[in-house]
Amino acid sequence: MIDAERLKILTESAKYDVSCSSSGSARANKKGGVGNASPAGICHSFTPDGRCISLLKILLSNRCAYNCLYCPNRADADVPRACATPDEICQLTIAFYRRNYIEGLFLSSAVDGSPDATMERMLETVIRLRKVYNFNGYIHLKGIPRADRLLTSRAARYVDRMSYNVELPSEASLRLLAPQKSKESVLLPMKQLALEKRADAEDKGKRRRTFLPAGQTTQMIVGASPETDGRILRLSEAMYRKFSLKRVYYSSYVPVVRHALLPEKCTGLLREHRLYQADWLLRFYGFTAEEIAGEGENLPEDCDPKCAWALKNMHLFPVEINRAPLEMLLRVPGIGSLGAYRILQARRYAVLGFADLAKMRVVLKRAKHFITCDGKFYGSENPTTVRTMLRLEDGAAKYEQLSMFSSPEVSLSALTGQL
Amino acid sequence: MNVYVTDGTEACFYTAAFAAYADKDCVITSAKRFQLSVGAKVVRVETDAEKQERVLRKVRACDPRAPRDISLILRRGCDTREMTALGYLRLLVRTGAPVRARLSHPAVIEAEQEKRKVTLEAHRFTGFLRFMEGQNGVYYAPFAPDNDILELILPHFLRRLADQPFVIHDTARGLAGMYNGKECVIVQTAEKVDVPLAESEAYFCGLWKEYYRAVNIAQRPHEKQMKGYMPVRYWKFLPEKRGT
Ligand code: SF4
Repeated sequence: MIDAERLKILTESAKYDVSCSSSGSARANKKGGVGNASPAGICHSFTPDGRCISLLKILLSNRCAYNCLYCPNRADADVPRACATPDEICQLTIAFYRRNYIEGLFLSSAVDGSPDATMERMLETVIRLRKVYNFNGYIHLKGIPRADRLLTSRAARYVDRMSYNVELPSEASLRLLAPQKSKESVLLPMKQLALEKRADAEDKGKRRRTFLPAGQTTQMIVGASPETDGRILRLSEAMYRKFSLKRVYYSSYVPVVRHALLPEKCTGLLREHRLYQADWLLRFYGFTAEEIAGEGENLPEDCDPKCAWALKNMHLFPVEINRAPLEMLLRVPGIGSLGAYRILQARRYAVLGFADLAKMRVVLKRAKHFITCDGKFYGSENPTTVRTMLRLEDGAAKYEQLSMFSSPEVSLSALTGQL
Repeated sequence: MNVYVTDGTEACFYTAAFAAYADKDCVITSAKRFQLSVGAKVVRVETDAEKQERVLRKVRACDPRAPRDISLILRRGCDTREMTALGYLRLLVRTGAPVRARLSHPAVIEAEQEKRKVTLEAHRFTGFLRFMEGQNGVYYAPFAPDNDILELILPHFLRRLADQPFVIHDTARGLAGMYNGKECVIVQTAEKVDVPLAESEAYFCGLWKEYYRAVNIAQRPHEKQMKGYMPVRYWKFLPEKRGT
């Protein structure tokens, strides 16, 4: 049985992986087994930094052969080391799961020995958990770059989600800060898994889809290296398209390690927040990276990316709320997907005026400058005035403290795209 | 003005609605105490199977999903729940068809809001409920939700923990769902029950608290967000928050 000391070592450094989502899988409880997965994802607790705890995030080992500069567990670092056996991880997962502390396991590891040896032990752990402990709950496995592709694709048959973290948004930065990794070593397994998942989906003979039901995700550290937001978003867009990724997580850089090549200070949370907003526009609002930010540009600080786009495209507004198609409603600043849906529903029964929108709890502070309600306009037509007002309302400064870091997907926070 | 007082059950509400539907400014309530205004007349309602069935049949004919809406509204832990349900029922019957999507109508807005409070809390407790292992191998989970959601969360845990006997105890309402590994029954209970815990319980609970401490990023405090997502009134039953 694992003790508190090792638990601390093995979980403390796993926490920087921001992905905590447990959604996207509908694994059912098999007879005699424990657990199932809930497609919407469930948060079991929240830490004082405002993040959701959904999974037991733990490393199998923190002894590392690699030397990524930004990582507290790199080979050169002088930190306490520990590892757990596959069976210890299984026991702990089951004990936590039965008490409803967690939704499942997020298993990761440092490169202990070789990539293959590490991946083998991780595979052994998940197989044991599924077969010996009959666990049907959620498992997220972090892949080890450069491990044998057969190990990778075997693991994908037992877990719900896998992730390979891109970490740094360019080859040059990787070479500098994570010398043993390369863009290839991360992107190749992602591509392989995407292809295998597609093949699995096309295999009509099978009834149950068991290959990575919750797909793949990845993470990028923002602010440790010089890439612009425009560059980062283009990379995300490409990965969403090519590998059908479920999510890209952005983690603003926290200096855990001091080094001449690394920035001294935390990257502001505002930048991370803006990237999540832009990412939302890519995935759900039909925007392209090109529309949101030029290749060499950063996202504006003083208003959200949707506002910024609307201000640049004032000739497309105002739109009539009772007639505008969904795609256009979604492009109105301040109207999120929920608001747009409410408008579509309600306008089938009655012509909507400004007061109706307010009653339906559609946020109008920003939207009013871009819409007409039954022909009437309530905003200001002067673009300069609008710009100033929007900036004041966005209150960019307050986001310096607001952690957008892995907000729970269930809650209707800003992450649900109320832009 | 008539004040129809029900026993709080759904059946009794439908019975009351039979008379209240056309009784213009009446009130239906199941509150134990309420302020009587001048000229108000109290009508104690006894459940009547026939009246209840007639109202329910009408509601179902208008919208087969409406009984579920009303059932959710009646689970609210506030005294105006019967009135919200009545407003919704009146609009529904007057319209003769589903009204759920009329999102700009005040009765629908109110109904949707109240429903959402109930379903949101039920969703939250699929995460916030905590089991302790009892000496006899039965897992015990006490909680005190704002709304009457025990029946709403039971199916989730019965599916998930099918091989695990457990008791989920709503201490605020004195209700418990008891599952023995095969069947589940809901029973009335005392507010407090004594459950001897398994030896290993303290150990795993300790590991959980250690985990909770270890995953927090201390450089980025954001207590307000934590409390927004996980309200302080729920902390009493969360081992990681108890006594903080
Ligand atoms: S591979 Fe790099 S990031 Fe991963 S544990 Fe080792 S040093 Fe850290």
